[in-house]
Amino acid sequence: MTEHDVLASAAAEPLLVDGGEIRRAIEYYIERGWTDGLPVVPVTESYVAEFLARTRRDPAEVVLAMPHLERSCTVRVAAINAALAGCRPEYFPVVLAAWDSLRKEGYAERGLWQSTTGTAPFLVVNGPIRNELGINCRGNVFGSGFRANATIGRAIRLTAINCFGLRPHELDQATQGTPAKYTACIGENEEDSPWPGLHTEYGFAASDSTVTAMVIRSVVHIEARHTTVPEQLALDLAGTLSRTGALIHETISGCLVLGPEHAHVFARAGWSRRDLRQFVYEHAGRTRAELAAVGKDAVSGKTRWRLPADHPEAVPDRHTEQGRQGLVHVLNSPEALQVVVAGANNAGVSAVVETFGPRGGPPAITRIDT
Amino acid sequence: MADGILLERAGVPAVSICTDAFTVPARAMAKAYGFPGFAFVTVPHPVASLTREQISQRAREVVPDVLRILGVE
Repeated sequence: MTEHDVLASAAAEPLLVDGGEIRRAIEYYIERGWTDGLPVVPVTESYVAEFLARTRRDPAEVVLAMPHLERSCTVRVAAINAALAGCRPEYFPVVLAAWDSLRKEGYAERGLWQSTTGTAPFLVVNGPIRNELGINCRGNVFGSGFRANATIGRAIRLTAINCFGLRPHELDQATQGTPAKYTACIGENEEDSPWPGLHTEYGFAASDSTVTAMVIRSVVHIEARHTTVPEQLALDLAGTLSRTGALIHETISGCLVLGPEHAHVFARAGWSRRDLRQFVYEHAGRTRAELAAVGKDAVSGKTRWRLPADHPEAVPDRHTEQGRQGLVHVLNSPEALQVVVAGANNAGVSAVVETFGPRGGPPAITRIDT
Repeated sequence: MADGILLERAGVPAVSICTDAFTVPARAMAKAYGFPGFAFVTVPHPVASLTREQISQRAREVVPDVLRILGVE
């Protein structure tokens, strides 16, 4: 009998397990604190083995370490938490690729997941695996309703809690956090995008499946149904990206998640992804007066965080140092901005995902080893 | 907290200071480092938005606690 047959027959037969027994198991996990607050799937050794069978990697191999906590996560611990999160075993290669990208991305190993800022990992999946596993890349892409999106992201969070001990009010010191802490995993809508997939920009083949990881602070909604002029739409995106509340460091970074309708506005005008990134880089900024009005017209000489010019630590920002006039750019380069296409092709809606740190250079991408 | 513990383990007397908002995470960090009873000083939250004079005042207030933890007679 194949796995599919087993599941099909299980669905056809009445459930013979007493619900009280299942609840008892779920309550046990919650009492131990092995949860993000929602019920988790009870996990036994045989179920973990199904996950480990999906990879050639040694169960003892470390996927990510947090040296400042003297803790690390192995392939086996990642598998246990993927199972707890409700992943199917075939999702496990995606979860492992996500860990590889999070390690390359670097902020987790430097303790940022514990910060008061309250960040969350954000995963973008490209390639054929999206359709094989049912990873949603169309309508409600940031919302609920899809097991793969819901559980792959949750596998990361449960590992942060159960393996690294990043529990709220304890080692997770987030002031408010973000709803993305439950899960933040989307597929790129390559089918409705006018451009090749994100991963192909960084040397992967369209037939490769990949996970790109970023650490994010928030997802800001853009509703722009009023224009088909690419410059107007790009300025609307740039204006949202450069909001002063996001500008804690000297510069910021972001990922535009364009709804297909918006992506086509740019593509119809002959803009590539690169053209859009260049335009937004040039136009995302604030005037010196706007920065002064919110007390962010200088930076700390120690941390490069933005400060009022009369603060004891204040030094001029690079824009002033270099004697430049006009708009103070909020991105250090076009490379500090990523562009992904996701969502339904049904309205002029996009999002600015605010990624943590100044960035620039290629994002953290890993090929999924299937 | 981790820095204070690592300095102590390296033989350098150290006292960690944090604001009272971080009392619980500070204890969790000490526990993670195998030093659950690690003594530290708390000051009222916040400090990031204080003036230079207010910061000096906070420092003066905690000196007795710092000396006590260091074992200075």
